[in-house]
Amino acid sequence: MITASPSSPSTLLTTSSSSSFLWISNSRLPYKHSVNTMDNSSSLGQSGNSWPNGKDDYELGEVIGVGATAVVHSAYCKPRKEKCAIKRINLEKWNTSMDELLKEIQAMTACNHENVVSYHTSFVVKEELWLVIKLLAGGSLLDIIKHKMKTEDCKHGVFDEGTIATVLKEVLKGLEYFHNNGQIHRDIKAGNILLGENGEVQIADFGVSSWLATGGDLSRQRSRHTFVGTPCWMAPEVMEQVTGYDFKADIWSLGITTIELVTGTAPYHIYPPMKVLMLTLQNDPPTLDSVAEEKDQYKNYGKSIRKLICDCLQKDPSKRPTATELLKHPFMRKAKDKKYLVQNLLPCAPSIEERAKKAKNVKRPPGASGRLHRTETGDWVWSSDDDSSDPNDANKDSSANSSVGSGTQPNNNKIDNNNSASPTTTNNNINNNASSSSTSDNIIDINNVESSQNGVKNNQTSSSASSSSSTSHEVPSNANQGPQSGSDSCGSNNPAPSPQTINLVLRIRNSQKDLNDIRFEYSSDRDTAEGIAQELVQAGLVDNRDVITVASNLQKLIETNFEQNISMKNVIFALSHDNNGDEKEVPDEKLLIGFAQLSIAD
Amino acid sequence: MPLFGKSHKNPFELIKSVQEALIAVEKGDKKAEKATEDLSKNLVSIKNLLYGSGDNEPQIDIAVAQLAQELYNSNLLLMLINNLSRIEFEAKKDVAQIFNNILRRQIGTRCPTVEYICTKPEILYTLMKGYEKHDIALNSGSMLRECARYEALAKIMLYSPDFYNFFLYVEVSTFDIASDAFSTFKELLTRHKILSSEFLEANYDNFFSEYQNLLNSGNYVTKRQSLKLLGELLLDRHNFTVMTKYISNQDNLKLMMTLLKDRSRNIQFEAFHVFKVFVANPNKPKPILDILLRNKEKLVDFLTKFQTDRADDEQFNDEKAYLIKQIRELKPSEDTRASSSNQLSSQQSSSSSSSHHQHPSA
Repeated sequence: MITASPSSPSTLLTTSSSSSFLWISNSRLPYKHSVNTMDNSSSLGQSGNSWPNGKDDYELGEVIGVGATAVVHSAYCKPRKEKCAIKRINLEKWNTSMDELLKEIQAMTACNHENVVSYHTSFVVKEELWLVIKLLAGGSLLDIIKHKMKTEDCKHGVFDEGTIATVLKEVLKGLEYFHNNGQIHRDIKAGNILLGENGEVQIADFGVSSWLATGGDLSRQRSRHTFVGTPCWMAPEVMEQVTGYDFKADIWSLGITTIELVTGTAPYHIYPPMKVLMLTLQNDPPTLDSVAEEKDQYKNYGKSIRKLICDCLQKDPSKRPTATELLKHPFMRKAKDKKYLVQNLLPCAPSIEERAKKAKNVKRPPGASGRLHRTETGDWVWSSDDDSSDPNDANKDSSANSSVGSGTQPNNNKIDNNNSASPTTTNNNINNNASSSSTSDNIIDINNVESSQNGVKNNQTSSSASSSSSTSHEVPSNANQGPQSGSDSCGSNNPAPSPQTINLVLRIRNSQKDLNDIRFEYSSDRDTAEGIAQELVQAGLVDNRDVITVASNLQKLIETNFEQNISMKNVIFALSHDNNGDEKEVPDEKLLIGFAQLSIAD
Repeated sequence: MPLFGKSHKNPFELIKSVQEALIAVEKGDKKAEKATEDLSKNLVSIKNLLYGSGDNEPQIDIAVAQLAQELYNSNLLLMLINNLSRIEFEAKKDVAQIFNNILRRQIGTRCPTVEYICTKPEILYTLMKGYEKHDIALNSGSMLRECARYEALAKIMLYSPDFYNFFLYVEVSTFDIASDAFSTFKELLTRHKILSSEFLEANYDNFFSEYQNLLNSGNYVTKRQSLKLLGELLLDRHNFTVMTKYISNQDNLKLMMTLLKDRSRNIQFEAFHVFKVFVANPNKPKPILDILLRNKEKLVDFLTKFQTDRADDEQFNDEKAYLIKQIRELKPSEDTRASSSNQLSSQQSSSSSSSHHQHPSA
């Protein structure tokens, strides 16, 4: 009964050949403006032929990607007789404010560059938002990597240097454009680099990209304090959240992506996300040698690519080169042209049919690094990136055409399924907490989250903890991680000679903005910082977006006290901004608004 | 290093070049293509002057002051905005950035550009019309929202007859434009509390009869967003008068009760936050009370089962429990009040009724 647009789309198309006008169904708004004479000029950013906004103008094809709140189809636009891709975002499941969504789309519309995926139009169909974007036949580089690793031996490297340099050069041009626009992508990885049938390379997924500056205003540039991205590709300063981060975070991710293009995977990909964060923060930046399983495994790769990786992966962001500087990097001299990619890379790509098949069978592999997503939507990437695909969505999709509005069903079922299906509790809990948190701000839906691994929490304790009105919460601290991290203490290189126990207090505001003291115990033989942080989230005491921040600061506090015998009594750190609220709170360190404090209790 | 970057042009020359290029572009003759390119280049120079570029710091105050003065004198801002469609893609963004930067310029506590635009409200009207064109809608939107931050400019927009076009813009089929328009609309109605409450009181009937269409929209996003905004507007203490008026109209209550049963959980949830205001009103007018009484059992039953999976949303559950209690305890008001004639009139001309009814002396 609900129609997508106020008019039949055919009207829209016939209004004028260069229909840059909005069709508005009211005579109060006549087409007063003179026809734009320049619209047919190809030199202009937007083509005069606009894309229709009616569901019936498109034929949906195969599903080629699945995420937590969205499905991507290949599609055919009938009036234009042109292929495209349609990302269908279920708005009932979209739990963050609509402003976040608008920001993503604004970011897309503000881009017009050959290395950034083209956005055509977007419109509402019942409870879904349909984003019409360019279809790139080759899929993502991750698709290609996986396909290639399946079909041939990639032990000594997936792609040759020429291919990697060519791809990186295109990606860098896109990033340069992005950064000049005042945007950070925040999720550069092979899964977000797409290949077209003519060898064009485009950066996709603006899901997490955001304006660095308010409304693109370059004079008010601020570094961001939000935690976002995919852990394996994430820059240390993004994880730490102390100083905020800027464009250079993308350069780190590009360095990780370069390793990925050589080895097929990001460093630390076998670890759960928390562990990845700890390793990234503690270890020296990865290199081709440090990620190799045996000596000289990647000896075919020369000095210049190693230098590039090393330049990008510097912990101090200010030392990393800019995208513009990287385009002049010696390694870029190995870059070839699009034809080279058509000949060398495209043949490795799975066909759309294969990608569709994969999207249907996608399962979360145990131990895969998950995604911590500020917009709380999980992933809606183009590629069927295993890391973030949701099996339930994949199943659901087979029937999605007939029942679009199934989003009204409570999300909680999904949580239980997922948790029992997967051993990576940490990862899943985070994603599912996110996807089930309700529209109202600050709510962490912990009710039905069963953490089968921990065996500590149950509905009663968690909900009673969060609903208790007292200002002090006791949290049992025997948190163990899932099987992957099991007995690993988070600091793998900090042996604690004998078990030590300290009492800690986390002072943090709850969703009602009341300041609470949360007391808990940390025992060096039993607990891990990430385990405790995870518990705090599960108990609804810490926003799931802050889980890493809490974990890393807890770790820091514990380490300084256990190992170095420096008595640092407390640490104050920034929390992720609450973007749901319309009233923007000014973070205040002293008042602990937007900040929290961890201290050692006497 | 040249004083004004690569262009070697001073602010005066830059403005002049932009002006000439714009005139050529406007004519649309064979020189237009070259002029469009020149225009883009000069706009980049102006942007770099304001923001700095690469290693160059933004220009010193004198140059910026000269530039701003020249912009006012030449009336170039309006000219740029009038021709925004003819400007290249990247240059459109530059126009918006230049505009927004100049707008924020302050001399002490004065905002000269704001003062200037107050004398040239066509700039605002033209920007608002920008939502009618695909290719400039979002650029216009970004400038409009920057303007909306200034009360004087927000006032001009709110009281312009074109303001009512927003009710159409927020419903256009292209999502990015509709939602951009909605955020500007919302900014105008929520940023300057006193300004907007005065506006809403003075234009209650017009405004809410249009707003009703948004709440009944077939477009899911429009419906959800407008319902949420309605809740925010009514719960803002500045809008107390508007709220009491709104919650005294039985049609509004009926609509919210219908929306409580919407197929979308999110819409139900937003409707709940408006519905609660009707119930919590200590001075319910008779028509409202009657409806609630007539549906007492059903409402209690409905609310008891309403979104029970939000168990950890403490505030929601408290409010729900409160509403259930309130509705359970509802009694037909004994002093059905001789004021029934008043009540009748409020039923007939629902929203135009005066605010007396809301405060029965009982």
